Amino acid sequence: MSATDIFGLGGCGLLYVALAAVLFPLRRLSAGVRYAVMMAFAVAVFIPIGGLSLAESMRGTTGDLSVPTLALAASACASRIAGRTLFQPREWSALLGAVAAAGLFLYPFALGLTPFDPYALGYGSAALTTVLLFATLAAWRAGLNLAVLVVVVAAAAYLAGAYESRNLWDYLIDPLAALYGLGRWGSDALRGIGRSFQRRKS
Amino acid sequence: MSARALKWTSLAVIALVFAGLYLRALDAPPPAAFVPPRSAAQPAASKPFFKPQLLPNSSTLSVHSATAVELSDGRLRAFWYGGTREGASDVAIYTSVYSPVTGSWEPERMLVSREPAERRLQRSLRKLGNPVAGRDAAGRVWLYYVSVSVGGWAGSAINAMVSPDEGETWSAPRRLIASPFFNISTLVKGPPLRLADGTIALPVYHEFLGKFGELLRLDGEGRVVGKTRLSWGTSSLQPVIVPRSENEAVGFMRYAGDPPGRVLMIRTGDAGARWTAPVKTALPNPNSAVASVLLAGGPLVLVFNNAEENREELALALSADFGDTWRVARSLEGEALPPRAPVPEYSYPWIMQDRSGDVHVLYTWGRSRIKHAVFNRAWLEGGG
Repeated sequence: MSATDIFGLGGCGLLYVALAAVLFPLRRLSAGVRYAVMMAFAVAVFIPIGGLSLAESMRGTTGDLSVPTLALAASACASRIAGRTLFQPREWSALLGAVAAAGLFLYPFALGLTPFDPYALGYGSAALTTVLLFATLAAWRAGLNLAVLVVVVAAAAYLAGAYESRNLWDYLIDPLAALYGLGRWGSDALRGIGRSFQRRKS
Repeated sequence: MSARALKWTSLAVIALVFAGLYLRALDAPPPAAFVPPRSAAQPAASKPFFKPQLLPNSSTLSVHSATAVELSDGRLRAFWYGGTREGASDVAIYTSVYSPVTGSWEPERMLVSREPAERRLQRSLRKLGNPVAGRDAAGRVWLYYVSVSVGGWAGSAINAMVSPDEGETWSAPRRLIASPFFNISTLVKGPPLRLADGTIALPVYHEFLGKFGELLRLDGEGRVVGKTRLSWGTSSLQPVIVPRSENEAVGFMRYAGDPPGRVLMIRTGDAGARWTAPVKTALPNPNSAVASVLLAGGPLVLVFNNAEENREELALALSADFGDTWRVARSLEGEALPPRAPVPEYSYPWIMQDRSGDVHVLYTWGRSRIKHAVFNRAWLEGGG
């Protein structure tokens, strides 16, 4: 098994554990049992059943997961298993807003809407790097540590060739993170509209 | 560490990783010239010959999408996929070798099947599809093949494996990452091209929300390190690129848009950095694959279905002006050419010229057999 397989499958395994942590009522269990159950599940997702493990099955569907998706999965595990919050809601809103905006820019064009293909810039483009640098510096100045951390880890993983992809976009964003970000954006917007409606009524 | 120290340390880390990103951007491979294929030009006075035969591919009910590469000893190695039907889970990729000395094909052997492939790729696979073969600057044979994990052909991805010994043994497959959307919807049909810097240009197409062509740039390890869009929208697919010089090439594509159905053509004059928008040629296209080769010292040849509605005639057209005008020279299959396949479909052609100058066409014969036709330029130009 290559290093890229280990990183790719590791990410898929982490997402499985996060989904299990969100879906199962873990809070009813004592801390010791909770850790033991999730450790056993984390091992189980890598054991082949009928030729393939759960992690391999997911990898066939999703491909390798971007750093924002891994951050979301790690956060879900920390919150549901250890009861710890890794970053404040403001940090998540900023990161997911940026990922959603990037998804709205990337996917329609990459899927053939126009002759312009922003995905091609991810193979090594000074322009894309400069845009990302300014966005990262803005996040750093605003104290958005999660966004900075995600960009730094994604860039380091890309430079190290952690995944099969040699395209920077694949480390920065995937459709799961973009859809989650769009959903979060939408629900925040609806909540805002609801609140202003309530205020006007009262 | 104090908050202030942490803040400045994080800035230093940002500076470090972005220095790496800029270095990587500067290190990205610049555009590279095409390597036009070299074959022997045949003397016009050669005696015409044409030899068609069916490959001995009798172990599967359905076969499709043949490809081939010339081996170092002058033989031909072909690949195709076969199974109970297109898209079935038992579809595998088969190979066979043709000897021009004996004029016959060896028995087929299974090369790639689904379950071993998914174990080696470390991911689930539902089915296998089109293979294409080519050779790199080091002389190694590469095989690229389509696989699907979820859904239909729109869910495809490409895998690559390489052989150092003319197709006898192969590396483990590698997944090519060519799309940001779950890496789905990238397929191959046209032959890969060698570029002057040792990289490979692989024509691919997408058919998820849009149908369009792209040219992937692959490094010596078979990793995607760049790409160029050949077309966009919802009606062009299965590009085939034919270089004429280091900078000039023409491309042909299957047309999937509104009638009239015509073979699409694109051009580049700057080694593929930019391509013209697709234009319709005068040749019909019933939404089916085409193949093309520029003969040594001779005309451009296109293999295509010579009808707008069906794949019942497979013909050869010649162009003496690199694609501006065409003359239909010969029919490989058609109503006047018995025996007919049980299902009269002749499709997915592959064409190449060997080092002696002979031309080989492989194609799907009634979805049940792969057919091989070998002929010379005298036969080709003597028709029409």
